[in-house]
Amino acid sequence: MIQLFLSLVLRAVVVLTGTALATFSLLWHAPGDPALAIALARFNAVVSTEVVDQIRVEAGLDAGFWTAFKAWILPLLSGDFGSSSVTGRAVWPDLVTAMSYTAPLALSGLLIGVAVSVPLAILAARRPGGWLDRSAVAVASLGAAIPTYWLGLLLILLFAVQLGWLPAMGARTPVHIILPALTLGLGVAASLTRILRSGILEARGQPFLPAIRRRGVASRAIERAHVAPHAAIPVVTVFGLELAFLLEGAVIIEVIFARPGLGTFLVTAIETRDFPKVQAVVILAALLFVTVNLVIDLIYRALDPRIGSHDA
Amino acid sequence: MRSVLALVSVFGALVLLGPILAPHDPTAIDIANRLSPPSPERLLGTDALGRDILSRLLYGARWSLGLAFLVSLMGLALGTLAGLLAAQGGKLADWTVMRTTDTFLAFPDLVAAVVIVGVLGAGTGSLIFALTVTGWMRYARVARGIGLSLQTRGYVVQARLAGLSPLSVARWHYLPSLLPSLTVVWTGMFARAILGISALGFLGFGVQPPTPEWGTMLLDARIHMRSTPLQMIWPGLAVVMCVLAINLAGDALRDTLAEQDLPE
Repeated sequence: MIQLFLSLVLRAVVVLTGTALATFSLLWHAPGDPALAIALARFNAVVSTEVVDQIRVEAGLDAGFWTAFKAWILPLLSGDFGSSSVTGRAVWPDLVTAMSYTAPLALSGLLIGVAVSVPLAILAARRPGGWLDRSAVAVASLGAAIPTYWLGLLLILLFAVQLGWLPAMGARTPVHIILPALTLGLGVAASLTRILRSGILEARGQPFLPAIRRRGVASRAIERAHVAPHAAIPVVTVFGLELAFLLEGAVIIEVIFARPGLGTFLVTAIETRDFPKVQAVVILAALLFVTVNLVIDLIYRALDPRIGSHDA
Repeated sequence: MRSVLALVSVFGALVLLGPILAPHDPTAIDIANRLSPPSPERLLGTDALGRDILSRLLYGARWSLGLAFLVSLMGLALGTLAGLLAAQGGKLADWTVMRTTDTFLAFPDLVAAVVIVGVLGAGTGSLIFALTVTGWMRYARVARGIGLSLQTRGYVVQARLAGLSPLSVARWHYLPSLLPSLTVVWTGMFARAILGISALGFLGFGVQPPTPEWGTMLLDARIHMRSTPLQMIWPGLAVVMCVLAINLAGDALRDTLAEQDLPE
């Protein structure tokens, strides 16, 4: 077990190193003079070559690739995300502020998704092929095909522009989270419903169920003790994917709804070519993913003893 | 398989015939008739610069569908090669390819695409690069799995011992097993590419105006949401219908494969 855990952690470290290297080399090879871009962003005017050269030295851009990479990665290992190349302020506090907007959005989106999909999937799986099942599948398929940004725009059009019930832009009051969370949640619900439904149906078809039933175990107890854990396995597996969907959705949704979260942070950083900020978001997201996937891997093995504890 | 082929021909016809079917020039500006409602002359109305929306939708298929098709095929080629390399190339190749796959999978592909396109500069070239680089991993996993399971099968071993060249083994023994499963993955990736291209266009990182592309059209339409809400409906509807059609074709193919009990 410890050996398994260590090999999973080792894999996570390899993946993180790969992400850091890939991101850094992408930004390093970005077209244009980064020092000039920083100068333009910082002074908002044309500056002399001396100033540009000074910025180049300041930002460590005159050193070679590996020197610059080390200058970035070593402080990062002790939790120092560096400072913005545009404003000169530390990246970390701004990143925390951005996350304080994204985390509630992602969490409420996930909650809405689970609250919609679990009852829907259970109802649909009650009678496979029935009208309820077929309409649930149809709605879920439609939901999976609707782009997040379009759903967001439609919800703004309906609830903010036409009906005037809910605010759409910004994040001033708690009410402002309703529309973006709904946009995110409905997208999550669409994919979760399908996965959960087929998970339940597959669990019901397991050959050991009739044997248990003949022993006289109540069907309610069978559902709880045998069907539910079985149906949970695919759900746990897709949680990593759902997290990707949540982050991806949050990026686009925040731009649409003008929420000052991680998505807006990232897009603004890219537009102003504030590379330390871009790197910080990428590394943070990768760290989140790797950690969640590691936990999922462990839960998965705990839920399904047939997955050997040796093949990592 | 037939449903997927039918779908591809319909989309292909749309991409090729779109410009012929379009009633107007998609970039012709007509300020006097800007934001006009649907009429017999302008079936879906005009946008903020007086350009015909129906014509822009039809021309846009070339970008939104054509580019997605190209990108998903490039991902297919890259991913299959990587997967087969992992399956055949020994332990080191396997480790390298699979850890690279993990690294790329560790990140939401759309966010990665936004970063890549944003850093390299918005445009069609970087769009193709970004979506290919972030869209090959699923093919690689499937191809590796099938490659590993085939390696030890009797007929493959025999063919190899009989002196068949690696290329012939690949053509006659690997391709027939790989093709159905990879097609299922491809339908999913094609749909994702359509969503990705329009999302990047919507964020302003994709195909640049005045080229008509569905995501970019939505970006334009969004500003005039209050006065002409219908303008925002059409490009979104086009994306939804295409993605839905591809997903349904993919589901049908997967069900057929499950009945035939082929390796997924």
